[in-house]
Amino acid sequence: MNSAIHALLIGFRATIANVRANAQTFLISVVTIAISIGILGLFLIIFFNLNGFLASWNQQVQLITYLKDDISPAQKNNLEDLFKTNSRVQSTEEVSKDQAWQEFRLSQAERSGLELDLGFNPLPASYKIRFKMSDNRLLHISEFAEQIQNEPGVESVEYGKSWISRFEKFMVFCRVFLMATGALLSFGLILIISNTIRLSIYSRQDEIELMLLIGATPHFVKIPFLMEGMLQGLCGSLLSLGLMGVIYYYLKSEFQTSMESIARGMDFQFISEPFLLILVGASVLIGLVASYISTYQYMQVLNKR
Amino acid sequence: MIQLFNVIKKYGSGSPALDDISLKIERGEFVFLTGPSGAGKTTILKVLFGWEDFEEGQVLVQGINVGKLNAGNMHTLRRSIGVIFQDYKLLTNKTVFENVAFAQEVTNRDRKTIKFKTWEALKNVGLTPKKDSFPPQLSGGEQQRVAIARAMVNAPPIILADEPTGNLDQEISLEILKLFEELNRNGATIVFATHSQDILKLGNHRVIVLSRGKVVSS
Repeated sequence: MNSAIHALLIGFRATIANVRANAQTFLISVVTIAISIGILGLFLIIFFNLNGFLASWNQQVQLITYLKDDISPAQKNNLEDLFKTNSRVQSTEEVSKDQAWQEFRLSQAERSGLELDLGFNPLPASYKIRFKMSDNRLLHISEFAEQIQNEPGVESVEYGKSWISRFEKFMVFCRVFLMATGALLSFGLILIISNTIRLSIYSRQDEIELMLLIGATPHFVKIPFLMEGMLQGLCGSLLSLGLMGVIYYYLKSEFQTSMESIARGMDFQFISEPFLLILVGASVLIGLVASYISTYQYMQVLNKR
Repeated sequence: MIQLFNVIKKYGSGSPALDDISLKIERGEFVFLTGPSGAGKTTILKVLFGWEDFEEGQVLVQGINVGKLNAGNMHTLRRSIGVIFQDYKLLTNKTVFENVAFAQEVTNRDRKTIKFKTWEALKNVGLTPKKDSFPPQLSGGEQQRVAIARAMVNAPPIILADEPTGNLDQEISLEILKLFEELNRNGATIVFATHSQDILKLGNHRVIVLSRGKVVSS
């Protein structure tokens, strides 16, 4: 145990000495990793916010139940009971005929500047029903709409069935597309990072060769390179995420209001904490694996003799 | 100390680089290894410190059977040998002091000992004033002296030198030869590969002559 700690300490000292002696190569690797992680991070920010944007649209979908003008109080009570007993219903808002007409007149006046006066009210009374968030929210809306549209006193129901169907397909497409793009991007970036680290090791083949010549053990040769690879991954990812954080807070302070006006209630998000940890961890891991493969391969070549 | 028994080494399908070589070098001996280019001088040295494999025969160095070593335990052999090359093999991004200290770091010595031994080795080769210089700032002779300091700093019982004066003029070559003779007087076994007749004449030591991978005189 003590000898393992001793070996790690020596390795760490050697790593720091190597970083100092090869500062330029180290910096180039760190910047390359930072750029790669930055590209992936930006992609994740876009992914999370687009997802949030789609979810906020989804949240705005509601079921409107239009009532017949001659609906009886008993029929109304029956409908209200149905809303209350459905555990998925979040809230119900009753809109009377007069209220509907007032809202319609106001919105028309805002748009065209004309005051409507038909002499009668053509609009029906209605209930606006909002549903709780759940995985199959749109399916529940559709099922509930079918259930109540044949109830007595109900004129019709509306929740944009065809629009929702198209929207759902669009959301599935968006998510699959983003995930596939993310996977391809991640794969490409893994190759870029690992090749950068491999090149930095290949540029120091003489050092590895000399270490073996003067009697270094394979562990003594490998440990500083592995630590350096991990350090490159750590520094690169922290640099990148730090810069992205600064840019994010700037953009948020500048554009949050505009974002909210496009998608009500939507917050402009940064990469979530678990993903931040995954990004840093993955970067360190890639550094470690790339260094291991490179030193291992080069030492194999030397040992084949 | 060093024994080769019927060693055969081939590169590809051509004629062997070492063709049934057998020889013995005693403890504390100073031996010149000579012959024309391609005679097998470098190959013998590489076989001795486990850098080249061989197809047949046996090689014993300090009682270690070189052919039986693998990548995991090769360092046990190499720590008992100091190797010096014609092209010095110094790390250009490390100072003279760091280059010499590096050879001890790989053996896990403590910092104090490393500092003391490095200083001592540099003093022995007359390079203490240049300890903070980088190899490209030194002359060829100085670089070779750094390489010698690095090879001797761990006090190995065997020193193998592959054309250590190949890039140096006669005056400097003589100085380098004297350094090796000093190491030999201190007990190290020296195997010095050279094709320079001047060096062979200046050093009055046993000469092993190689030609086309065979020992022609010993």
